[in-house]
Amino acid sequence: MSTETDHGEETDAVAANGSVSPDDGLLVLDEIRKEFGGLVAVDDLSFAVEEQEILGFIGPNGAGKSTTFNCVVGRFPPTSGTVYYKGEDVTGTNAHTMVQKGLARTFQEFRPFEDRTVLKNVSLALTPNRMFSMQGLRGKTKEKAAEICKRVGLGDRMHMTPDELPHAGLLRLELGRALATKPDLLLVDEPFAGLSGPEVESISDLLLELRDEGLTLVVVDHNMRGLLSLIDRGIVIQFGSMIAEGDPEAIKNDPTVQEAYLGGDEL
Amino acid sequence: MSDNDSTQTTGVLGRLNPITMPLRYKLGLVGLVLLGALPMFIDSTMALTFAGAYFFGVYAMSWDVVSGYTGQISFGHGLFFGVGGYTSALLNLGHGFDPLLSIPVGVVMAALAGIIIGVPALRLKGPYLSLVTLVAPLILVQIFIYRSDIFNGEQGLSGVDPLFGLNTFGDEAMFYYVAFGLFVFVLAVLWIVTRTDAGPVFTAIREDEDAVEAVGLSPAKFKIMAFVLSAAIGGLAGAMIVHTPNGNASPTTLLSITVNVEVIIAAILGGMGTIVGAAIGGVALILLRDQLSAVDLVVPLFDTPISDMDFLVFTLITFVLLFALPGGIIRWATGIGGWLTQRVRGEDPEIAADGGTKTPPEQVYENYTEELREILGGDDDDEH
Repeated sequence: MSTETDHGEETDAVAANGSVSPDDGLLVLDEIRKEFGGLVAVDDLSFAVEEQEILGFIGPNGAGKSTTFNCVVGRFPPTSGTVYYKGEDVTGTNAHTMVQKGLARTFQEFRPFEDRTVLKNVSLALTPNRMFSMQGLRGKTKEKAAEICKRVGLGDRMHMTPDELPHAGLLRLELGRALATKPDLLLVDEPFAGLSGPEVESISDLLLELRDEGLTLVVVDHNMRGLLSLIDRGIVIQFGSMIAEGDPEAIKNDPTVQEAYLGGDEL
Repeated sequence: MSDNDSTQTTGVLGRLNPITMPLRYKLGLVGLVLLGALPMFIDSTMALTFAGAYFFGVYAMSWDVVSGYTGQISFGHGLFFGVGGYTSALLNLGHGFDPLLSIPVGVVMAALAGIIIGVPALRLKGPYLSLVTLVAPLILVQIFIYRSDIFNGEQGLSGVDPLFGLNTFGDEAMFYYVAFGLFVFVLAVLWIVTRTDAGPVFTAIREDEDAVEAVGLSPAKFKIMAFVLSAAIGGLAGAMIVHTPNGNASPTTLLSITVNVEVIIAAILGGMGTIVGAAIGGVALILLRDQLSAVDLVVPLFDTPISDMDFLVFTLITFVLLFALPGGIIRWATGIGGWLTQRVRGEDPEIAADGGTKTPPEQVYENYTEELREILGGDDDDEH
């Protein structure tokens, strides 16, 4: 990693001529396009995620964030374009294989397994993808799951069921379950929606700590509240195309972004 | 506290230690021992009734491991019993295979049928899959009728060799033990499978397949595994029963709609997604039917003896129980048991914490209604 400005220039160039190479970062999107019928949800989007950065992926509602996200995690394949992960072409790889490759995600509408405790939710993510495994009986999984629960701040609530957790607790559970898959890159979908100020701060602290431990993070959000202090770099998209890219300050002052956002009320 | 933790983490051997195992396991073991000694106290007719009940318990368990656990509801599990039973009977009759050889072949064929049904299950959701499973055994019955020269139509195949060369008359106690042995074996196998890592993955598929993918597990792989395991066990029971006085290779014994539905009723009554509940439900259903057949009471309005209406009676019981105890008998009993033991130990019993969590039938019902709404009411959103 060289200096911050280097970064900017490199990715600015990317935005300008629209071409990236597979080795530009941990995760590289090369002209990703997704059409639903006649609707172009993602319009030849290219960008790279550097190792160990926190990238903000920002855009108003309906800008195509979730669609891009889903093309990357393998929920559905892009119409055209290539996704590279660790330099390898992973376009159209299914979701669980992406997770095994080290790319984990959280769900915006939290999706815990309601029928089991927090601890067991996390334990499931530690289960090997094998037909016959007795690993769970040796008690190691439980210890490890408990450790992860503590890591994400659920140490005292491991034995609760998800419906007993408050909103912020469910977010922590999503994070814990994703971390249990030992990701190198974590895609976090709209973490701050519905959180109070102090909660945003403590989740941000957790994400920063995880980054310091070596994790790369992409945080998706439609508003920038809480996000600008967290991210190293941001990408703003609208109508499926990138409209701005740079450090938080630059994004905030970008006239196109202001236009896209100031019509609304949230910046 | 640390003592407590260490007993919890000593693993499988610790769990199988009869001294430290929870009360309900002790009760279960005592129950199995008593059932093992039962033939000493009952007559031969009763022994055969029990043997039939054990076979049905195995059917219900085989349904439970795929439908109760993963929520992939099969309405035609008789397909697997039928494939196992007919394969074994045909090999025995036509080619003179010993049952000990023809039964394993039946199991393999049933497992293949499990793959044939399991693969569509990867693409078809809820109601669609259920239609496929509902129709499959009906088609098989039609094939059996069409090629009556091979399968002897509705009559089915009879005159197959009994297992181990036992005598149909006189060796009833031995048939009891054959069925009981199968019952205990299947109970143990499925108990281990569902209590190790695969069980939580199966139930997670029932809850939310996308979330299962998101933790790096392949729902497809585990669904196929559940189908093949279930089909193999159903096929084993079907293949064995045709070599006992409890049944022959006929649509009525193995493939009828009544069999398909009663298997589901048994598993739901006992407790869907518990294996033990399905086992108890299956055995209880047959014993209950046996008791009903002895009742001479005639239902006034229909002028039919109640013994002819057993199917209706089971359905009514199921409906009542679905409202009263949606988790099934086993969950209710362990719930009460846990509450009582805490009372006895002088601890404050925890208020039932299951208020928010759904029981498996409720979860499956919810998935179904959601999927049906997608099929039927796709345009509703636009109208508002």
